[in-house]
Order: sequence, then C-alpha cells, then structure tokens
Amino acid sequence: MPETRTYQITVVGAGPAGAMAAWRAAAGGRRVCLLERKSRVGTPVRCGEGIGLKGMTASLDIDKRWILATVSKACFVSPAGLRVTLADIDESYVIDRTVFDADLVERARDAGAEYFPHTPVTGIARREDGRYRCVTPRGAFDAPCVILADGIESNLARDAGWDTSLKLEDLESCAFCHVTHPGIADDTVCFHVGSGQAPGGFAWVFPRGKGRANVGLGVLGTFCEPGKARRCLHRFVESRFPGASADDEHCGGVPVGRWTRPLVRGGIMLAGDAARQVNSLSGAGIGYGLYAGRLAGDVAARACSGEGCDQGALQQYQKEWASGLGIQQDRSYALKSMLLTKNNDAFFDRIARAFARSDPKRLNYKSIFLRTFARHPLMMLKVLRLFR
Amino acid sequence: MAAKVDSAACDACGTCVSVCPTRAIRCAPEVPVVDEGTCIACGRCVKVCPIAAIRMEETNRIS
Repeated sequence: MPETRTYQITVVGAGPAGAMAAWRAAAGGRRVCLLERKSRVGTPVRCGEGIGLKGMTASLDIDKRWILATVSKACFVSPAGLRVTLADIDESYVIDRTVFDADLVERARDAGAEYFPHTPVTGIARREDGRYRCVTPRGAFDAPCVILADGIESNLARDAGWDTSLKLEDLESCAFCHVTHPGIADDTVCFHVGSGQAPGGFAWVFPRGKGRANVGLGVLGTFCEPGKARRCLHRFVESRFPGASADDEHCGGVPVGRWTRPLVRGGIMLAGDAARQVNSLSGAGIGYGLYAGRLAGDVAARACSGEGCDQGALQQYQKEWASGLGIQQDRSYALKSMLLTKNNDAFFDRIARAFARSDPKRLNYKSIFLRTFARHPLMMLKVLRLFR
Repeated sequence: MAAKVDSAACDACGTCVSVCPTRAIRCAPEVPVVDEGTCIACGRCVKVCPIAAIRMEETNRIS
C-alpha cells in the first residue's frame, strides 16, 4: 500500500512561484508539503534569467549570490539594425536560476515545509472528506488547500476543471543557449526585434558576466513552424556572434496571454506560469511568479486552520492579484497585441530612426513611448485607454 | 492521425502540452506522451515545438 500523508497545504511545483508559496505558507505556521517533478529544481534553465530590481524586491530581498551581472543599460536593435540605447534604466539583474531556485526551496524548508523532489503528481481529485488528494508514485498527499504552480504545462489545473490551453497568439515558442564572445558587454541587455530574427517576439542577449550571455528568442505561436525557434536562434547567434561557442541549449514555452480567471476554485489556487502570470510584452515571469506565490502562500496560511480551509477567504488571492500586478499584466497584454501580433518591421525601424541619434542618457521608456505615440494618434488613443 | 513525440529529440519543455486543446499530451513525467484516443490531430503541438520533436503520424486506430 502506498503511503498517504496529510498536510494543511500542498504546493505542486518548486519553481519560483511554488517555492515562494510554500515558504510563506510554512512561515505562516501551516503544515506544508512542496512536491517537485524533477530531482533537481532549476535544471535545466528554461529562462532568460533577467529580473528588474523592483520585480525582485516587491517579494524578497536580493541575495548577492544569485546575481551574475548587474545591468544599467538597455539596447534595442531594430529590424534594419538601427540601435537605440537607454543608458540609465532601472537597475536590473541577470540571475543564476539554478542557484536561485535551489535557494528558494531551502528557504521554504527552513520555514518548515517538507520538500519532495522527484515526485511527479499524476492526478488530483477531491475526496469525500473535502480534502484534495495529489497522487504520486511515492504515495498520496492529502490537504484541504492546494496551490498549483506546475509551470507552462499546467496539467493539474486542467484536471481540476480549468481550461488553461493557450491560443497560438498567446504563446512564445522559445530557444536559448549560453554564448561566450568578446562582443558581449557585461552591463547591457540587448533586445532585437524583427520578423527576420524572431517573428512576433524578440531575441535577447542577457549578460551572465565574464563575456558570457544568456542568448535566446521567442517566436509567437501564430508564426511558428516545427523547429522554427531553434533555427532562428542558430541563425541569430551565427550572425550576431560569429565564431562564438554556444552551449547549454534548451527550449521552452512562455505564456503571453491574459492571466487565468478565476485564480481560485474551491480549495485550489493557481500561481506562476501555470496561471499564465507573465508580462505579456516582455515575457518576464520570475517577478510575477514570486509575487503571485507570495500572495497565494500568505492567503492560504490565513485561510487554513486545524483540519479545514475557509475557501471563501482564498478569494482574497485573486482580489489582491487583480488590483496589483494583474493590472500591469493586462496593460502589457494590450501592448503586446498591438506591437507583436503582426509584422511591424517598418514601424520599429521608424521609431529606431527617430531615436538612434538621441543621447542615451536622456532616453527612457516613458520618453520613447510618449514621442512614438505622439506620431501615431490611433495608437495613442488605445494606450491612453489602458492607463486611464 | 495522431501526434507522435520523438523521445530522443524531445527536450521535455512542455510547450506542446500548453497548447493542446483536448489534454491529449502529458509530460509523463519527463518526455510527453500523446493519448491517441484523445488527440484530434489539430497539429498545434507540431507547429509550436521549438525543436521539431513532434510530427503527425498515421495510427492504426479505427475512426
């Protein structure tokens, strides 16, 4: 007979969202288990590994050990190759996800959460006693409250009644690798847009220090063909970094749709990529996942007591998300729909021409947006509606 | 017809799973497995696979 274990809160998936949720729920005094499919969390890295100072500190203090490079400049390269540099962006970091993810799990364990690596959940079902049973090859895990943070696949959310399948226009099919090349600047992140490089997405170069970089790109699902992301990546690396050595090549998907509604059903909450909580324009998901995991963990800790869970109290999670980063994601989604869902090469080149000779120190995102939209009144109207 | 994963080429990233409209693909637990009975051969998974590790194949299923 496989063993059955009982907890107050089960968290499925030990990425940033899940580990954060388990940490907060355990710190809130609850009996928590954290179930992870893989034997080593954070491997392989399927991520650009970039995060802004604000995105990180909204949820936790930065530990220097995670940081591979501190970035203060952003460079945008248009389809025709025009470069626009912003020399004074908010401080951002490229972090080592393997170290970061493992550290978060350690914090969850230190707070009292029980961690089960190499424990894939194959099904979830509600039992007569009101608890949810997560079935794994290592036995059953029962709890009245479950936080599902099982990533892009979001299998368990579907088993629990959500339709989380992504439309093609709401998915970036990605490929990434690590590149070593003398042309990599350790203080600058680069974004390359254009249908020739990464149709419906962009290519990025995020420095990892010592002349190395995380180089990757995303192709919007509607522009995909089998293997296109990898082919585009190889072409990009060859043209941008001729003769460079590339290793650690992996692929992955990034959800760029709206966040899943509802986020809570009965005693089950969704968080992170599983809930499609990602900035739709930039594809950035670490900060959103941390924030969602923190909210979900805190709310779950308050809602659970003794053997039960106040399901009504779990709704607070969606309320707080919807009035916080949820708004930002909705805006990013509208911008993405305007900018990336069709071939905008001529538009991006026009913007780049307008700014290519500007003083990098005087450029920032706001000034670029304002001057661009001043030339495109229709777009301006749409954007104003977003920020009303 | 049904989708078929080339397990030697697959990187187990889960992108195909996220676009499947019928829940026919699951990571089990690493390389995804397609349930031929549920697959409607819509081709979305084939299209979005970043490394072309899925293709459509004839099946022996009587439809």
